[in-house]
Amino acid sequence: MSPKIQEVADLVAKGKAKLVGPAVQAALDEGCDPTEILNGGMIDAMAVVGEKFKNNEIFVPEMLVAARAMKKGVEVLKPHLSAGSTGAMGKLIIATVAGDLHDIGKNLVAMMIESAGFEVIDLGVDVPIEKIIECYKANPDTKIICLSALLTTTMPSMRDTVAALNESDFRSNIKIMVGGAPITQEFADEIGADGYSEDAASAATLAKNLVK
Amino acid sequence: MEQKIKITKFQKKIARETVFQLLNCKEDSPTYQQMKEEFEELLEPVKEKLAPEAVIGFGKVPEELVCDKLKLGEDVIYVLATVGKEVSRFSSEFFDEGDFLKGMLIDAMADACLFAMDDEIEDELKRVCAQRHIGIVSRLEAPEDIPMAAQKAAFDQLEGEKNLGISISPSYMYDPVKTSCQVMRVSEDATVFKAQHNCRKCKAKGCTMRNIQPITITVQNKDKTFQIVSKEYETILDAMNKQGAYFSAVCGGKGNCGKCKVRLLSGELEITPADKKHFTQEELDKGYRLACRAYPTDDITISMTTQDESGFSIQVGHGTQEEEDSRITESGYDIAIDIGTTTLAFQLVGKTSKKPVASFATLNRQRAFGADVISRIQASCDGKKAELQKSIQEDLMTGIRALIQEKEIEPSQIDRIAIGGNTTMGHLLMGFSCEGLGVYPFTPVDIGLIERPFQEVLGNTYLDATVILLPGISTYVGGDIVSGLYDCDFGTNEKTALLVDLGTNGEMAIGNCQRIITTSTAAGPAFEGGNISWGMGSVQGAICNVKIEDGKANVTTIGDKPPVGLCGTGVIETMAELIDHEYVDETGRLEDEYFEEGFELAKTAEGKKITFTQQDVREIQLAKSAVRAGIEVLLRRFGVTYDQVDAVYLAGGFGYHINQEKSMVIGLIPHEFDGKIKAVGNSSLGGALRYLTEENAKEEIHRILERSAEIDLSQDADFNDLYMEHMFFE
Ligand code: B12
Ligand code: SF4
Ligand code: FES
Repeated sequence: MSPKIQEVADLVAKGKAKLVGPAVQAALDEGCDPTEILNGGMIDAMAVVGEKFKNNEIFVPEMLVAARAMKKGVEVLKPHLSAGSTGAMGKLIIATVAGDLHDIGKNLVAMMIESAGFEVIDLGVDVPIEKIIECYKANPDTKIICLSALLTTTMPSMRDTVAALNESDFRSNIKIMVGGAPITQEFADEIGADGYSEDAASAATLAKNLVK
Repeated sequence: MEQKIKITKFQKKIARETVFQLLNCKEDSPTYQQMKEEFEELLEPVKEKLAPEAVIGFGKVPEELVCDKLKLGEDVIYVLATVGKEVSRFSSEFFDEGDFLKGMLIDAMADACLFAMDDEIEDELKRVCAQRHIGIVSRLEAPEDIPMAAQKAAFDQLEGEKNLGISISPSYMYDPVKTSCQVMRVSEDATVFKAQHNCRKCKAKGCTMRNIQPITITVQNKDKTFQIVSKEYETILDAMNKQGAYFSAVCGGKGNCGKCKVRLLSGELEITPADKKHFTQEELDKGYRLACRAYPTDDITISMTTQDESGFSIQVGHGTQEEEDSRITESGYDIAIDIGTTTLAFQLVGKTSKKPVASFATLNRQRAFGADVISRIQASCDGKKAELQKSIQEDLMTGIRALIQEKEIEPSQIDRIAIGGNTTMGHLLMGFSCEGLGVYPFTPVDIGLIERPFQEVLGNTYLDATVILLPGISTYVGGDIVSGLYDCDFGTNEKTALLVDLGTNGEMAIGNCQRIITTSTAAGPAFEGGNISWGMGSVQGAICNVKIEDGKANVTTIGDKPPVGLCGTGVIETMAELIDHEYVDETGRLEDEYFEEGFELAKTAEGKKITFTQQDVREIQLAKSAVRAGIEVLLRRFGVTYDQVDAVYLAGGFGYHINQEKSMVIGLIPHEFDGKIKAVGNSSLGGALRYLTEENAKEEIHRILERSAEIDLSQDADFNDLYMEHMFFE
């Protein structure tokens, strides 16, 4: 890998948002391939960050900082990328279920999934079932719908949302992923979701596997 | 096959209730009358077509049937029963004609007859078992319990073709379809007879024919042994709770906390995925299971391994022991109560002296439904509302009786009872619906000041008193906080003060006699030892004091007992020491040496290492930051700086024991508050007490309510940034 790309990767991992932009520019100036900067310099770096997060080596803030840095880099890179090379893995909708306003976990998941190459549509918190279905109808090329719940009292709301999706006529076109502190694999199976993962880094891996 | 018995004398019983149950046809259904007529009309013709016959016989388990329930060569009894071909043909005729109603009815009638044959077969089984002095320990059916190959094994061993004129397909389906087979496991114990069909194992909860045989769970708890009977398909935890056997379930039965562990001494309990997560293979082999995930399907004996909570230290009042002036004769008494999520505190108050004269404290037995308010809300919404209400009513009665007995007074001398408690506790006591409490926008039923006759609230007439529930501000800033604000003089104080209740729900308020802003910041139970690997309540043997020197920890435990874990105070002390000695960096990462296994604090009596792990540090970071960011937001919204805050009151049992300096080291409370912090103990109880003894109490509480505004942190623009920022250690 070109040292310039390595530099981008290091800066992303350290979360140096201000320096990433210029580093990306430098790599471009040197004639590096934009897609390679994206993949080698950023997506891979974020995967490493995710791995560290999973192992408890780093924590929420560091991960957020790294993602912010990546975003800055992508901004510089975007005009140079061919259309569709960001978000090449496909579209994904994410939401915190109705009745729940916790969004830090969901944001981390969205971020890691985006860094893994998906185009993420974040519907925010307290999202009613209808809004999710509406969003899918407007984006019929969506491949995965992700739901987050942090309260035991909103687990029923997650159950209802999954049930509604399971009954929809587009069910076979999508995969459903669920997560959040009180959610378990057992619960995910019980309500009929396709996947569950414990943290944001594994969520990204899971999303990739689900669209394979 | 040693012996086969053919049974042909069957009564052809077709119970209408069974048939209608099968078809899910209820009495209030508009078609009920018509169905009834059709049924009567078909009864005789169907009976004519029925040809009930059965064979039973002894045999051994062949290789293809071996599974976790059956061993090779084991003695079993096979049962094969049929109602014959004719009746199926009869129902098919109607289906072919398009008369589905009749077709369905006949089909269900044939099923009903087949089910009813069970009784007569059972009589025969009893007879042969008695002859041979054996018993039946379980009834197994394919495919729920045993492989489908059982259908073939029974067919072969009982010579189904010859004896009943039936045949079997390559996929082991019988013809005629209305044929059933079972395998009975036998035992030398002639006193057991469990040949009845048992729906307990079946997951078809909505099935109209559901009929569950009761089982007995024998529980050994230290030197006590008791039995509970479970009549439903339910977990051990639920069965115990229903019968009032107290069991603390921290996560409310989600299989997350691992605190409900029991050990199976005899009988069987499947290993669940949650068990695998919490126990090592060795522990599983020893029989350890989570009570909240275990559905017993047969009689079992278990031992409870829950921690001893008898030594739980509970904060009553302000820590100063009441002094009684024996010269005063009281004209009567009132009772002040704090209903905490974890503990209950009571004080008997003299009407003349206006002082507490006796006190009592106990654990809130609703802990059996989960440790935090959310789990209680959920339990209430899951149909356990009445149980929860009964639990708190009983606990209150225990306390009230204890006070009356201690002072040897008459129940009639009690005039009023004032209660401080959070909104959920109030709802559960009053029997209000908790539906609105658990989901945004968190709407309570009634949080105003409630004054009701004793009987209405406690459900009995032991006292002829008035019960007063102090009002709250919102679902998450409840009567306990209002009571605390009153106790800390927020209604009259000119200077600005901050009140922080460091419980699971982290309620806080800032203000003075002009205005008050409140909020809550569910930090979680980490400060109470919850979610921490070795965390526990303030029980005997819990580590409460930690000093690290030269990489080694010196600990003190509650009651100077051998260490068993860490209480909340110990958690904070450990964290502060780790920071002080730089075993964690500012991002919260433990040094490499301790990263994998955690930092060892002490060893238990059995030699197990009590450690503080990386995950534990992360839990503390989440929790302390939620509280700290909450405090910061309050200061900003109120428009004051640290030095403009005159006093900081820490409420709650935890706030009372916490080492203030260490809480500043971990960044829970800003350093700038050094010297201004006052631990006020149970200010909810304190407020209730003052309510009973002060003249203008009602007006003053009202004034506090009027001036209070609440902010919702999840909607606050600054909260999230502050939350991230304060996750680091300074
Ligand atoms: C921060 C916080 C808040 C903040 C929320 C800020 C925000 N914008 O999100 C504030 C203060 C506003 C808040 C409010 C409340 N909270 Co709160 N809160 C917390 C806290 C401290 C941390 C949660 C968090 O952000 N964790 C960090 C993130 C990174 O982890 P995470 O969310 O679990 O997400 C990870 C995984 O679960 C997974 N994941 C998450 N979503 C998804 C989705 C998919 C598809 C996948 C695959 C994976 C996945 O990946 C994530 C990253 O690895 C927890 C306690 C704790 N220590 O956990 C309580 C907690 C969640 N809150 C709780 C409660 C009760 C509340 C309130 C109802 C009460 C109150 N007094 O305020 C309100 C309700 C707000 C609402 N309407 O939803 C309770 C829930 C209890 C229960 N039994 O359910 C907790 C557990 C604390 C407790 N024990 O009392 N809270
Ligand atoms: S509950 Fe299950 S076992 Fe019982 S009758 Fe219904 S289907 Fe059969
Ligand atoms: S694991 Fe059973 S109550 Fe928490």
